[in-house]
Amino acid sequence: MRLAQHSSHQVDYSKSLNFIFNNKRYKGYEGDTLASALLANDSFLFARSFKYGRKRGLMAAGVEEPNALVSLEIGGRYTPNLKATEITLYDGLSAVSASNPNAFDMRAFIKPLHRFMPAGFYYKTFIKQKVWAKVEDSIRAFSGFSKAPTEEDVDVYDHIFHHAEVVVIGGGAAGISAALEVLNNSEKERVILVDERSQLGGELFNEFSSDEAAMTWHKDSVNRLLSFSNKDSERFTLLTQSTAYAWHDQNFIEVLETITTAESLTSSESQKARKIVHRIRAKEVILATGAHERPMLFEANDLTNIMLSQSVRRYLHEYGVISGKKVVIYGNNDSIYSTAKDLHVNDIECIVVDVRSSEKPIEIISELKDSGVKVLQGYSIVKALGSHRVKGVEIKQTMLQGNSWQVFGDTETLSCDLLATSGGFNPVVHLDCHNGAKTYFDEVSQSFLPQQDRDNREVCGAVAGAGAWQDAIIDAKNKAQFTLNALGVVSKLTQEILSENYSNFFNVSQFFTPKEILNMPKVFLDLQNDVTTLDVALSIREGYRSIEHIKRYTAMGFGTDQGKTGNINGIAVAAELLEIPMSEVGTTTFRPAYTGVDFGAMAGREIGDFFDPQRYTTIHDSHVASGAEFEVVGQWYRPWYYPKTGENMHQAVHRECLAARTSLGMMDASTLGKIDVQGSDAREFLSRVYTNAWMKLAPGSCRYGLMCNEKGMIIDDGVSACINNNHFIMTTTTGGAASVYSALEMWLQTEWSDLDVHLNSVTDQYSTVAVVGPNARKLMKLLCQDVDFERENFKFMQWRQGTVCGVDARIMRISFSGELAYEINVEANYGRYIWDQVAITGEQWNITPYGTESMHVLRAEKGYIIVGQDTDGSMTPMDVNMSWILAKDKSFSYVGRRSFSISALCTEDRLQLVGLMTKDSSTVLPEGANAIDNKGKSIGYVTSSYFSPILNRSIAMAQIKGGLSKIGETVLVKIVQKKQGLKEIPCEISSSVFYDIEGEKVDGND
Amino acid sequence: MLLIHCPYCKESRDQSEFSPAGEAFIARPKNPEGISDEEWADYVFYRTNHKGNHWEQWVHANGCRKYFLVERSTISHQILQVAPFGARNNETEL
Repeated sequence: MRLAQHSSHQVDYSKSLNFIFNNKRYKGYEGDTLASALLANDSFLFARSFKYGRKRGLMAAGVEEPNALVSLEIGGRYTPNLKATEITLYDGLSAVSASNPNAFDMRAFIKPLHRFMPAGFYYKTFIKQKVWAKVEDSIRAFSGFSKAPTEEDVDVYDHIFHHAEVVVIGGGAAGISAALEVLNNSEKERVILVDERSQLGGELFNEFSSDEAAMTWHKDSVNRLLSFSNKDSERFTLLTQSTAYAWHDQNFIEVLETITTAESLTSSESQKARKIVHRIRAKEVILATGAHERPMLFEANDLTNIMLSQSVRRYLHEYGVISGKKVVIYGNNDSIYSTAKDLHVNDIECIVVDVRSSEKPIEIISELKDSGVKVLQGYSIVKALGSHRVKGVEIKQTMLQGNSWQVFGDTETLSCDLLATSGGFNPVVHLDCHNGAKTYFDEVSQSFLPQQDRDNREVCGAVAGAGAWQDAIIDAKNKAQFTLNALGVVSKLTQEILSENYSNFFNVSQFFTPKEILNMPKVFLDLQNDVTTLDVALSIREGYRSIEHIKRYTAMGFGTDQGKTGNINGIAVAAELLEIPMSEVGTTTFRPAYTGVDFGAMAGREIGDFFDPQRYTTIHDSHVASGAEFEVVGQWYRPWYYPKTGENMHQAVHRECLAARTSLGMMDASTLGKIDVQGSDAREFLSRVYTNAWMKLAPGSCRYGLMCNEKGMIIDDGVSACINNNHFIMTTTTGGAASVYSALEMWLQTEWSDLDVHLNSVTDQYSTVAVVGPNARKLMKLLCQDVDFERENFKFMQWRQGTVCGVDARIMRISFSGELAYEINVEANYGRYIWDQVAITGEQWNITPYGTESMHVLRAEKGYIIVGQDTDGSMTPMDVNMSWILAKDKSFSYVGRRSFSISALCTEDRLQLVGLMTKDSSTVLPEGANAIDNKGKSIGYVTSSYFSPILNRSIAMAQIKGGLSKIGETVLVKIVQKKQGLKEIPCEISSSVFYDIEGEKVDGND
Repeated sequence: MLLIHCPYCKESRDQSEFSPAGEAFIARPKNPEGISDEEWADYVFYRTNHKGNHWEQWVHANGCRKYFLVERSTISHQILQVAPFGARNNETEL
């Protein structure tokens, strides 16, 4: 329910908002979170728990909340597994529980079986018994998490990069104080302040009603900060509703900013980002991340309306909301008295139960007692009563004997409808640990504190153990002085004095973990994953000792809250059961991300068209006009085939292949990688990186080269043209261009810096039109008058400089089809003009453009390999039957050569490239199909397979064990055919050259 | 995410501009044919995987495309120094 309005409340009572939760309409106010608005409406149920299906309500008010997971919005704006405590309310919001607490739940139905579901239950019951596959779906349907989105995300996400001298993480009292100290004492230093909440202040709001000074300091300081951001936006950046979720090496911090307004979520036109990832590179980091309260442990501590004490205060002060009328406040430190005082001031009935005995009188306790609040010191709660919502508690007397707690005496019962507990505080050390820091257990504050000294970072406030807000402010100023000093801004440090015992977290006692409590059922540590003290005990009984193992065995801290409330208690329980100190148990490892990050936010704008660059040749528009279908090769959009009206791919490829074989075809070959190699050692360089000889290649000639890596494996192939003795143009495969270029640079820069060779990628500088077929020479004569095309004067593997349709061109007589072919290379921007001129002039021979599919068929007919298709990075030149290309007499041991003689590469049963001819010539084998021996074991696989139009039969290339010595033998290839199922296709192992075995076609017929 | 100083561009830039290129000072044997399979395999395959300060090669792939040397702690990921190739006497410092 909502209390009477008060100036400390941070909600705007003049702005009422409507929202829907679990199909019911509610009203809230601007400034509410979904959680506070629902509490104000007396709606307490949020979820069913993960394993047992227990009904759960809110435990906390912020990021540490384990229970209240909801799915926000629907359709393209659906977001799963958000915490209701972190969702800022906006008008029209709609959300449902991740697991609906009101629906019938199978898990609750099987409640009597709970004692049979200990840690490791699923593994022991299903996986070990090998029935997991059968039950997985139904078990996963039980889980307490949202369904995955099914529609494409309609929202926009951004990435923004920042550089700053100082980043302050956390905008509570300490963070505000630290940021102000830096800004006030420096002139140019850029400061970024990051805070997860929508308003600066953190837990300070909790003090407003009881401490006027807190409110005044907050108002004054926030105004001063904002004046910096107004005055000099370059200097101070304030990021609210922004969670720093990862801190990487060298002070690289990632922050997720959430922008939720009704406008940003419901307007269909709005293209403003809904979430932004800020990537900040900082010189100095000040962590003021505060601390999370941890709950007390007792039986049935997961009932609805059992909350953290400071969270009860936060709902009360920030939102004017309380979820009960009769409150029991239970804990082991002095902060519970502040909660009691706040409730009492608001006329809410409350009783305090303190596990600590009264040793010395504390002012606030006597003040409370005098005003009529019942205070029980030396008592503990052993059990919460109620079926879903807490109705009361059972208490017993308690005392500390030596180092162990004793619970004794008769059980008394107190009734209540809200139970607030505080078991101490866990400093939020997560980010510090992301970046490699360690924690240490501090006995005074009963907490894991961040390691003290680190370069380029300070910790201040509650994360450093300073509990009271006044101390946090002073601590932050002092630490900011160190930061200023590290930046060289101040040389003389000013340090203010902190109060005595400032770091004992409100006189916290040691963890309250008596055996009597730990041995009870339903003492929950991790509420999201339903991990109890008995699970930890079981894991220890079964032999686990390391907290990392105990965590994994019990799944403690595995939920979306990552155990922010439960883990440290779990460590205390393990310490008690293992009978070793907390410091020896240590913490589990803190890894990014601190909270959940949307996939959309990670991707940012780099989706759809911006996922990967798209490269088009200058001829692209002509291909589009010809109706080409495209395929992506590397990043290039290459014509795949050019279907005429009514043609399917098979028919188009059939027509294109026959045209190139019988008359004339043309292809856009611009995408092949081209590297310009210049320098007096260019020739020497080529002979070091290619397997064959280059020393005698004359200017005007070209040569095919095969490139291996030092392991002896084929990595690339292509034709290089000798322009002159100091200048070559190398072509690479389309997909391999970048990696080959990079590998060549590496050789030159790191190993052969004595060679005078310079490389430049010129792929984009040239367009290449290939003219292919028996009529190619006739066409070239029409297109180019200043080159002698006669076969004896312009031989295969030569190139000539000429003028094609008025454009300077380098014409290379090379062939990837076995036919007479010329490749016309022109300056890139003439590409489309030349392509269109070739098409018009070639009409008399019915010139036919063909795409990559026909190119693959034509080259396979000739047995030419495609690196990356017929090879896979584990093939040597010998394996692909290309030993002929290995030079024997080079003075320099070229790259990869030494590896060829390693014994493993010389065995006879290596996979070797051969041809496969199906006995039934119409059957086209699927690529990837396995060839099998007579025992059914795989002896290789099909790498390329097509139907050859010119041969009117299917052809295939395959890697077969010892294949080269099995030519002529029959092998079975196992395939799956529609309707017929598995079939074994008999094939003859053949040479991989299927067409024009003598190589007569390459000269044409004129 | 590292911040790497390119000794050629003389600027500290984000790691996303660079690519790692393996351990530094793995010299190619002068006479590959004159050494045993084991020695050759040592050069091709085996690396020290050193824990501590480690020299490695990086390339400013989306920048000047130059390869250079980086001494980095494999424990803290701190970069201790960078150097162009040939700028220092590799043997003595190792």
